[in-house]
Amino acid sequence: MIGKKTNWPVTVLLMLASLCVLLPFYLTITIALKTPQEMAGNLLALPQTWEFENFSRAIEMTNFFNAFGNSAFVTIFVVVFTVLTNSMVAYAIARNMHKKFYKFLFYYFVSAMFIPFPIIMLPIVNQTSAWGMDNLAGLIVLYVVYNLSFNMFIYIGYIRSIPKELEEAAIMDGASTWGVFWKVIFPLLAPMNATVAILTCLGAWNDFLLPLVIVSDRDLATLPVVQYVFQSQFSTDYNLAFASYLMALAPMIIVYVLAQKWIISGVMRGSIK
Amino acid sequence: MMLNKLSVFGTTVVLSAAILTGCGSNGGSNDGQVELDFFTNKSESIATYKGLIADFEKQNPDIKIKFDAPPEAETVLKTRLTKNDLPDVMGIGGNATYGELARAGVLHDFSEEEVTNSIQPAYIDMINRLVGPDEKGVHGLPYATNANAVIYNKTKLEELGLTVPTTWDEFILALEKAKAAGETPIYFTLKDAWTGMIPWNSLGGNLVDDEFAAQKNEGKASFAESYDVPADKMLELLKYGHKDNFGVGYGDGNNAFAKGESVFYLQGNWAIPEILKANPDMELGVFAMPVTNDPAQNRLVSGVDVLLTMNEETEHKEEAMKFIEFMMKKETAARYIEEQKAFSAIQDVFQEDPVFEGIKANFESGSLASFPDHYYPAGMGADGILQEFLMKKDKEAFLTKMDKEWEKVNDR
Amino acid sequence: MTDKAMKAKVRTARLPLQNKRASLSKESNVFLFMAVPGFILFFIFHTYPALQGIFYSFTDWKGYGDWSFVGIKNYLNVFKDARALDAYIFTFQFAVLSTIIVNIISMLIALGLNAKIKFQKTLRAIFFLPFILSILIVGFIFNFIFSHLLPTLGQNLGIELLSKNILGDPDLAWIGIVVVAVWQAVAFNTILYLAGLVTITEDLYEAASIDGAGRWTQFWKITFPLIAPFFTINMVLAMKGFLMVFDQIVALTGGGPGTSTESISLLIYRGGFEGGQFAYQSANAVIYFVVIVIISIIQLKVLERREAGN
Repeated sequence: MIGKKTNWPVTVLLMLASLCVLLPFYLTITIALKTPQEMAGNLLALPQTWEFENFSRAIEMTNFFNAFGNSAFVTIFVVVFTVLTNSMVAYAIARNMHKKFYKFLFYYFVSAMFIPFPIIMLPIVNQTSAWGMDNLAGLIVLYVVYNLSFNMFIYIGYIRSIPKELEEAAIMDGASTWGVFWKVIFPLLAPMNATVAILTCLGAWNDFLLPLVIVSDRDLATLPVVQYVFQSQFSTDYNLAFASYLMALAPMIIVYVLAQKWIISGVMRGSIK
Repeated sequence: MMLNKLSVFGTTVVLSAAILTGCGSNGGSNDGQVELDFFTNKSESIATYKGLIADFEKQNPDIKIKFDAPPEAETVLKTRLTKNDLPDVMGIGGNATYGELARAGVLHDFSEEEVTNSIQPAYIDMINRLVGPDEKGVHGLPYATNANAVIYNKTKLEELGLTVPTTWDEFILALEKAKAAGETPIYFTLKDAWTGMIPWNSLGGNLVDDEFAAQKNEGKASFAESYDVPADKMLELLKYGHKDNFGVGYGDGNNAFAKGESVFYLQGNWAIPEILKANPDMELGVFAMPVTNDPAQNRLVSGVDVLLTMNEETEHKEEAMKFIEFMMKKETAARYIEEQKAFSAIQDVFQEDPVFEGIKANFESGSLASFPDHYYPAGMGADGILQEFLMKKDKEAFLTKMDKEWEKVNDR
Repeated sequence: MTDKAMKAKVRTARLPLQNKRASLSKESNVFLFMAVPGFILFFIFHTYPALQGIFYSFTDWKGYGDWSFVGIKNYLNVFKDARALDAYIFTFQFAVLSTIIVNIISMLIALGLNAKIKFQKTLRAIFFLPFILSILIVGFIFNFIFSHLLPTLGQNLGIELLSKNILGDPDLAWIGIVVVAVWQAVAFNTILYLAGLVTITEDLYEAASIDGAGRWTQFWKITFPLIAPFFTINMVLAMKGFLMVFDQIVALTGGGPGTSTESISLLIYRGGFEGGQFAYQSANAVIYFVVIVIISIIQLKVLERREAGN
């Protein structure tokens, strides 16, 4: 490998391909900074002046900070609760797979992945509203619970690869099973927890269908729902619309730029398991 | 030891759950202020409603109106009906969805309320027909009415040396002349399927029996028999479109027409404020689409664009009624129709804008027809079927599909 | 804890068996406490609604008001419903095509990224970027590209095909949806393939090139068999995701023109709530469920056999 020369043709091809990824971003940023008059000209041109007013208009119109707060609130709680609870359930199942009940639980959770959401969608809308859960808290509960399915997959394989001796040693030290999980296993799960946290975070932040049907109170709308709700009001004011899109995308992009290496390796780890 | 930890864990869970629900369900009822949900399906009227709401809140500082105008509003409204979570006050169109809500018994009966008397009785009859004979009472208050028409660019029409057509043949001739002069005769915006329903309603409202829906439900009428001519005429109109009839949506269409990209625009009065927003100096005119060759028979299709109604189960009936009464006041109604370029269902409130010169006579003489599609069953998706027809141009398949979808929806 | 100390403890741990047995029942109680609440919640919020959905599919419930049993009438009606059939056909065509395209493109990009190239880290970061974005918003941005940018370009360059908004053409609108779906999904699948590729050591290729194997043979004889498990996962996951397609369509076409791009999820959402067809669409959802299960099983079986055969 060391002796090999840089493969320039492949580098150039990949750079060209990466333009396909970057073009929509370029377009979003430049249009968000243009005036409606500039839209009549070359759409790909750079903005002549930076029209930051688009952003303040979008913030005011869509009540951006409210929606941002809702999305952040949901995402943070979902990530924390998912990591804490799902890993615990997975641990209990992984250590008792020889028992019928836990084996059943494993297949129960995993097979639920095959149930398409639309079959649940209509009844869950009734159920959540009847129980006063058609709000952000309800949304959090649903995400944490639904995540169990996929996360059993991710966690259990990993937990089974942790040698049992470690736990037995801790028990000898007088730790309870409960203590063993939190003090020994949970820290060892750190890489998997990171993977689950990343995937859960992206899932909760970007999800559209569940908040759309569950939460009807507009004050509780999350960022994607807000973009949808304001489609008709943006109408043909694309500068306003793109400013709003950009602000909705920005938080995740910022996080990604800062923690890019960590996020990619987290996702890779999840896929090898 | 372990029990101790368990209880700590349990308390944490309960506490966080409590915090969560607390955060989630703060209904905003701070310092005794009542919050009312007001829902509308008209994105065009958002600015007007916001202005009216601000005035109302100023007069009633103890009431706060929460305003919502989502896309696909009827789906959202039905979702909320399913959730038993209807908004307190609704401003919705007089169509099949209203009929369904009224039949579901979730709307207030206004027949004993004072405000009902101020409405033109013809419009109350119109919306009662949507509900059907089984449910008695008046479940909605017709507020604004509309005109399903043809909007034209006055300057261009004059340049072409044309006058407003009064018969179908004259209309086609005008379109031909515009085309020959290198203009786009009609700016279609069929990317949004509903815009196809505008000419369809003009045609159906004049060429098909007013009782079509009732007859169809009894199996005595069908699209295949009654809508043969309207379907042909739809295809004829389509010949006078632009290059990308199905690629442009309503919003972009308003802009294009405002920029003078076509002579005619098949839209309702509700598009006028949007067009004028894009080009405030534009010279506009409106006329009822002349569908037959007998000018006396060409009626203007007009329906209840907005009716106000109230959730029977609302916790704030008194406040909701107060808001509705505010909206029904003559001054408020006049302001609404002025800003929205609409017409009022309330007696003695008239639209004086000169833009409507061409259809004023229709309103005065009562030469009006109602929207045929308001009587189609909800969820039939007629606009999508029509859009498909305009692309594929297979008339027999289209009419059969309309008949079948109607029957299927009624059978579910 | 050092290794030695740990081993010592492990040794002592095996000694007092009695002690251990006494704590066993307590231990299993804790495990139950850990797993059962999750099970109950999952049942309440997932299994129970699913059962409800199945139950309602045998009624004529509109989502509100009274209802009565109608037997299998809803199911018979779904089978006769051309709109539902079209939605199934569209969804499957879309899912199959997108799955194939995504896998080809992401395999190529992963191979490229795994080669000796400049700016490897940066390029990898760029290609992964779409994964973190909201599909809905990406869809809105592409909607603008299809309806304004491309037609303007097409007109300026005189390319007839591009000069129209493809989303307005019932025969072409699906392309727009595939483009957005692929643009987004390639990111994740590339990472999966890359994860597989980095496990292959250079020695294998060196050995092969000594044997005189060309690049093409190298790929099919060495690379592909080794990343075959990733291929299986990718195919199943991508396909399952695409069968649920909803956000992209809402953002791009809303199911139009006509009903040419209406997916099953969208049809169930629309019909179920708007049309008062709650029970009817529940029957549709049950059929959808059965179809997905069958496809997943077939896919797993076929791909496993192919893997085993290699």
